[in-house]
Amino acid sequence: MAYFGNNQQRGELQELYADLNDLNFEKKKEAIKKVIAYMTVGKDVSQLFQSVIKCLEFQDIEMKKLIYLYIVNYSRQKPDDAIMVIQNFRKDVRKSENPLVRALAIRTFGCLRVPKLNEYLIEPLKDCVQDDDPYVRKTAVLCVPKVFEVSPELCPALLEQLQKLLEKESNALVLANLIQSMREIEVVNGKQLIVLNPKIIQKLLLAIDECMEWGQIFILDYLATYDPVDSKQAEIIIERTLPRLSHINPTVTFCAVKLILKYLDYLNNGDLVKNLCKKISPSLISLLSWNQPEIQYTILRNISLILQKFPILFENEVKVFFCSFNEPYYIKYEKLDIMVRICDSKNFHQVLNELMIYINEADPHFVRKTIKSIGKIAVMYDKALAEAVSILVEFAKNVQQTNEAVQELFIQMQIIYRKNRNLYKTNDSLKILFSIIDYANEPEAKSACAWIIGEFAEFIPKSVEKMGEYVDNFILEDRLVQLQILTSGVKLYIKYPSLCSALIQQLINSAKDSFNPDVRDRTYIYWRLLSTDPEIVKNLICYVAVGSSQFQKDIRLWETKDLITALENMGSISNLFHKLPNQLYKNIKVRNNNQQEVKIYKADEKQEVPSKEQEIKKDDQIQQQQQQPKQDFDLLNFEEPVSNNNNNNNNNNNNNNNNNNNNNNNNNNKIDVYDLI
Amino acid sequence: MISSLSFINQKGEILIYRVYKDDISRNEITQFCAKMIATKENKEFPIINIDQTSFIHISIKDIIILATTKTDVNVAMVLEFLYQLSKICKSYFQGNLDENCIKKSFVLIYEILDEVLDYGIPQIADPNLLQKFIQEGGVQQETTINIEKLRQLTFTLTGVVSWRPIGLYYEKNELYLDIIESVNLLISAKDTVLRAEVVGSIELKSKLTGMPECQIGMNDKLLMGKQQKQTKQTIGISIDDMKFHPCVRLPKFDKDRTITFIPPDGHCQLISYRISENINIPFKVNVFYSEIIDNKLEIRLKIKSIYDNNIYGTNVLVKVPVPKNTVNAITATALGKARYEVEEQSVIWRIKKFQGDFETSLRCEINLGTTNKDQVWSKPPLKMEFQIPMFTASGLRVRFLKVMEKAGYKTNKWIRYLTKGGEYLHRL
Repeated sequence: MAYFGNNQQRGELQELYADLNDLNFEKKKEAIKKVIAYMTVGKDVSQLFQSVIKCLEFQDIEMKKLIYLYIVNYSRQKPDDAIMVIQNFRKDVRKSENPLVRALAIRTFGCLRVPKLNEYLIEPLKDCVQDDDPYVRKTAVLCVPKVFEVSPELCPALLEQLQKLLEKESNALVLANLIQSMREIEVVNGKQLIVLNPKIIQKLLLAIDECMEWGQIFILDYLATYDPVDSKQAEIIIERTLPRLSHINPTVTFCAVKLILKYLDYLNNGDLVKNLCKKISPSLISLLSWNQPEIQYTILRNISLILQKFPILFENEVKVFFCSFNEPYYIKYEKLDIMVRICDSKNFHQVLNELMIYINEADPHFVRKTIKSIGKIAVMYDKALAEAVSILVEFAKNVQQTNEAVQELFIQMQIIYRKNRNLYKTNDSLKILFSIIDYANEPEAKSACAWIIGEFAEFIPKSVEKMGEYVDNFILEDRLVQLQILTSGVKLYIKYPSLCSALIQQLINSAKDSFNPDVRDRTYIYWRLLSTDPEIVKNLICYVAVGSSQFQKDIRLWETKDLITALENMGSISNLFHKLPNQLYKNIKVRNNNQQEVKIYKADEKQEVPSKEQEIKKDDQIQQQQQQPKQDFDLLNFEEPVSNNNNNNNNNNNNNNNNNNNNNNNNNNKIDVYDLI
Repeated sequence: MISSLSFINQKGEILIYRVYKDDISRNEITQFCAKMIATKENKEFPIINIDQTSFIHISIKDIIILATTKTDVNVAMVLEFLYQLSKICKSYFQGNLDENCIKKSFVLIYEILDEVLDYGIPQIADPNLLQKFIQEGGVQQETTINIEKLRQLTFTLTGVVSWRPIGLYYEKNELYLDIIESVNLLISAKDTVLRAEVVGSIELKSKLTGMPECQIGMNDKLLMGKQQKQTKQTIGISIDDMKFHPCVRLPKFDKDRTITFIPPDGHCQLISYRISENINIPFKVNVFYSEIIDNKLEIRLKIKSIYDNNIYGTNVLVKVPVPKNTVNAITATALGKARYEVEEQSVIWRIKKFQGDFETSLRCEINLGTTNKDQVWSKPPLKMEFQIPMFTASGLRVRFLKVMEKAGYKTNKWIRYLTKGGEYLHRL
């Protein structure tokens, strides 16, 4: 039988029509298969509706399934025709002794999704919810949300029936599906439907042991959203969940981990918490080396959340996150990210040693990310500084211009110098950087170079000449670079007034007419300042930030107040993208009324007060707490390093500035005087 | 939950398309397919979210299985489900899943898809179980007409022991155990072990009558410590983590670490485990790369096997990376064969049989072409593959396997051990 016939002739539908109406059963069956094949490739075969449903008379179950598939696909296009099959369905549901046929009928019935057909469905559905056969019951339970979605007004009695079933159902599989089905209805309805009491919880816990893997996931997932009433209850539920950590289905394990992690907050026994952590850790690590990369990836994406709240779980486990040569790149990137987070003042040596290897890999993005990570570690831990810088310098010695990662090198070195100005004294990093300074061509890298030249002009040979080159090409540069060239140019001028007077003139001339208001504004400010009192400019621009606080910011991936909501949703799609459900899905409400606009990637300026859940585990992990790894976006994406720096300085010297402005205003006639200085 | 499932071929054509919820259109999927074929990124990232619609996919050789959803589902669950679905399909097609099979048996696949998901919620995903009532060309009439048998079937489907049907009978009761370990090893250029880990699995193949109650015992340190005073022989090994087939009673294991179960009929992976302590590394590798002088590079390699000399490693393969501009390689070795393979960019050294406690070496002279001279060559790691029967790198042993059944029959039990090279890497 042809599946993708290329030579579809016009008469095909007619041919099928004839076959469907043929008296020969086999011929009919073949014809129906063909119809389904056309449907799959997207060809419209809805015209055959009448002929197809006529074939329902036969009791052949394979054929029945195909016809049902067809009906489901076209029922909404042909609601009037679909009404003709209702009788068939009802007959199947009510009269058939075969539980598979009953279940099949009720399942398909629910998928018709034609509002006016649903009223015929309610009664048989009610019967099926009470069917003797658990398989039919299970199917009926899942049929309720289907009907509810299309015609909620028909359902109140059904929902009540479900609630009753929740109390008396004894089959574990039916119970698990019941929970899932009621949750689906809750999502559509927006109202709570499942009412838990200790007896039902007890039943659910028993059901975990008895139902198949998916059922276990439904129940665990649901219980993870429940808030236990006290420590005792939390303890009982955790105890029943623990065995699931050894299930072969990674999702069962993961859901169990999620549930236990959430309930830990409710325990008031510190030792128990510690013990539980010891049990969870190996299980989680097994998931991290899972042999299906896609699953490994989803788990990795959730690690940062766990790491933020439970650093204790990965104590001494950096090795788990080492990248292996043949891994898919999306896994490598995640691992790299986590390695920086997990790095602390104890294990930085191990991490840096590993990162050093990655520098030689072939994937340029990966190398670039590695350089970035090394830079971050250098800034985060003073102890790691020397080692990290020596790796970067080594890289700089052998690097080639074509290597994209060299751009990142400039950016990172700039940030490191900003924090540790005296670094230039201890090694030859400056000299080496300057020797490859022409490699910089990305705006951010160029601006980093411009900053380095301005800052360390006196230690770099030919710094003025280099700056001259930058000034020559000023107009062609990106705004970011222009701003930095301006500041650095002024710095050079302060440092070598006589040597650079021509340079500064050229610079201000080309900058004052810039199309960019930022550049223009800054030009004028410098201009006026220079023309008033170069001494002030010196204080202002050559101001040396000591231990600037912007490098010690503790920026976490998740805001502390979101942690619990995030944890409850661990493993979900929103969590995978490091967002809360209501941020990804507009129609979803988050429990706990957590409705505020929360932007996660944004840095939180304030020092955070440890929240309740962190206090609980504080004893175990004061140390880790203090070394909360930083997030990607803290030091690296601060939008324009240059202006930030200056803003800070400006703030620091706010009074000065105001005075200056006043002075300027008073001495307007002095504006052009800079020529004479 | 899951809104739709599709099977897609390499060209981005939809082979199978099944909708479970109404919130997705075929159009969205065709658009996504086009995108996926167009860019590498879309193809490789397992999950992509476009405007509140999530596309989750896995690739099984040339076939992409794609699930879509508009709700905030558990991603790992969807992925695991897709993998299980691929396993189900493979079990119907004798281990293959390719475009031809799918086209030929699309009716069967639709039947499967009808059963594994309902309203996008995963249901039965056990291949053995599905085989009982879904078969190519329809199940034999007997089972579909006999109501008593049908009752039994639905009872099994929804029951506590859903993986094993009632009333199995075998003339000869047999049971096969395979312990397969793969060693993941990462050694730094300075010859220190960065990571050594064994990921193992215990595969069970059973042909047993009735509903046998089984118990398996390994030399698990925690278990043995409990049972008796430790003598030299009975000191067990410590297992970091074990994961069990659904048939194993987990609460019992959690309580006293005994592993009891009623096995599924036929083949299953009973246990998978991970061990990171005291790994017996089977091969020690010494490698030396000379400086490149006059477009010539010399590589010397020494391999020593560190297992008993009555055991043999088989199909040993060493991948020695060489620069891209290699022209040819002259190799000299006493054991096996080595030659330069362009597509692998390596000298591949194959040894059919490698005795235990034995040392052998390889010497290669690599002639390089003159192109891209100043490009520094970053060496990928050296990789090894091997199989060593009757050896476990972790030292794991099965101590007993008890089978108890009402009928009290005798069971023939067979056991095999095998250690394989997993990610067995030496950095250079």
